[in-house]
Amino acid sequence: MNINEKIKVKIVGIIFPLLLLILWQYVVSAGYVSHHILPLPGSIILKFVRLITHEKFLLHIAVSLRRVFYGFFIGTLSGFLFGLLIGLSRTSEKIFGPFFHTVRQVPLIGWIPLIVMWFGMNEFPRILIVAIGAFYPTTMNTFAGVRSVPTQYVELASVYGFNKIKLIRRIILPSALPSIVTGFTLSLGMSWVLLVAAELLIETNVGLGKLIDVGRETFNMELVTVGIITAGLLGFIMTKIVERLASGTQKGRVSDQKK
Amino acid sequence: MVINKGILEIRNLSKSFVVDNNPLQVLKNINLTFPSGTFISIIGSSGCGKTTLLRIMLGLETNYEGDALLDGERIEGPGINRGIVFQDHRLLPWLTVGENVAFGLDGKNRKEKKLIVDEHLKLVGLNGFESAYPAQLSGGMAQRVAIARALANKPELLLLDEPLGALDALTRMHMQKELERLWILEKITMIMVTHDVDEAIYLSDKVIIMSSRPGIIKKIIDIPLPRPRDRAGSDFMQIKAEILKEFHLGTEYPFAYAI
Repeated sequence: MNINEKIKVKIVGIIFPLLLLILWQYVVSAGYVSHHILPLPGSIILKFVRLITHEKFLLHIAVSLRRVFYGFFIGTLSGFLFGLLIGLSRTSEKIFGPFFHTVRQVPLIGWIPLIVMWFGMNEFPRILIVAIGAFYPTTMNTFAGVRSVPTQYVELASVYGFNKIKLIRRIILPSALPSIVTGFTLSLGMSWVLLVAAELLIETNVGLGKLIDVGRETFNMELVTVGIITAGLLGFIMTKIVERLASGTQKGRVSDQKK
Repeated sequence: MVINKGILEIRNLSKSFVVDNNPLQVLKNINLTFPSGTFISIIGSSGCGKTTLLRIMLGLETNYEGDALLDGERIEGPGINRGIVFQDHRLLPWLTVGENVAFGLDGKNRKEKKLIVDEHLKLVGLNGFESAYPAQLSGGMAQRVAIARALANKPELLLLDEPLGALDALTRMHMQKELERLWILEKITMIMVTHDVDEAIYLSDKVIIMSSRPGIIKKIIDIPLPRPRDRAGSDFMQIKAEILKEFHLGTEYPFAYAI
């Protein structure tokens, strides 16, 4: 794709949101929908600009980011280790696999009441929910990555007399890396989804979820919308960053997919 | 310096696998001697056990009856005194060409590794490609890298498992010349499994013909022709006819019966 085509693709992708925005502006300013229910795009932008310089708003964001960071870190690290374990050892897959796949069926939001009863309304349960959400995608993609290492590569390692540790370090991990990184990306998306849910459902003083909740309570639709858009935007940026980092791990493998 | 290295002797070797609780004999009473520095090919129809024989020589199959002796020592496992080139180049896609060649060079420092990699890439005519990825190479080039990797450990014995089987006819003939050149330069024992009768005659001092179920040595044919060999010469053709006769593909059989 040359640059001109890339720009064309971008423009085509902008048409629909733009039409939606025009329609939005129209239905509100023509009086079909009250601006109390659906604020005008312009007033949301104004609100956003006013808030962005506000210390309190930045604190909400910072606290939310911190929760996501801890939850994501704990969830992906344990997911990676667990996925590696059940990927490498058939015995441990037999022991833990059925339990894991059963528990996985519990909708993640369903954990919240139980976790609150166990740990109370504080920081830990919020992080734990995010961690649980991050755990599954990384576990499953690590497992799949380890299991799909071509046997030819494993045979190559035995030709060179590699022991188990060396086999994992030199063959299995590099071979599974793209899949593991895909797991991280999916986990990040999951973390972000669960963060907002946890902040809405587990009473807190600060965080993007709280901001949205305050907006709801005070019937401040601009605030609610700004909260939602900020959450979406941050999720988008973080995913882009991880994807950019992930593309580095695909080195040498890009043209594999073409064949 | 010991000159007579890479002598492989196979004595009364038999090997069975258990398939569905029944023993299946794949190799029966194999006796072969591979003198130091010879090029020997093994040809036979599929299922004749030639791959199993190669795996025993490599040390990947250790549970066999009889003896496989390399320089008088029984082969009990893989070792870096034996190199292997597979039909698929089996380069690791996440490593560069240089890193692939250095794959088995553990215990050497950076400088030594670089020296060996440079030397062997030059040997196979690929100097300047060390930072390319395998996916960027053609089939012939990738196989050259695989040969460089196998030679980098200075093996006494190089095993070639249909090394040129995946290449197109012209590249293949070119690579046969390359193999011959490398064999003359390195002065090591090379054992090649192939399906290609022309390739076997072009390269080998001896051609071993195996027949299947169970795999036995059917015939050993000496190729006393001077090198480089003329693929269209009458001596060449005569030997080819002799080998083809062993597979019931000689011209004295009317077609109706041969099919």
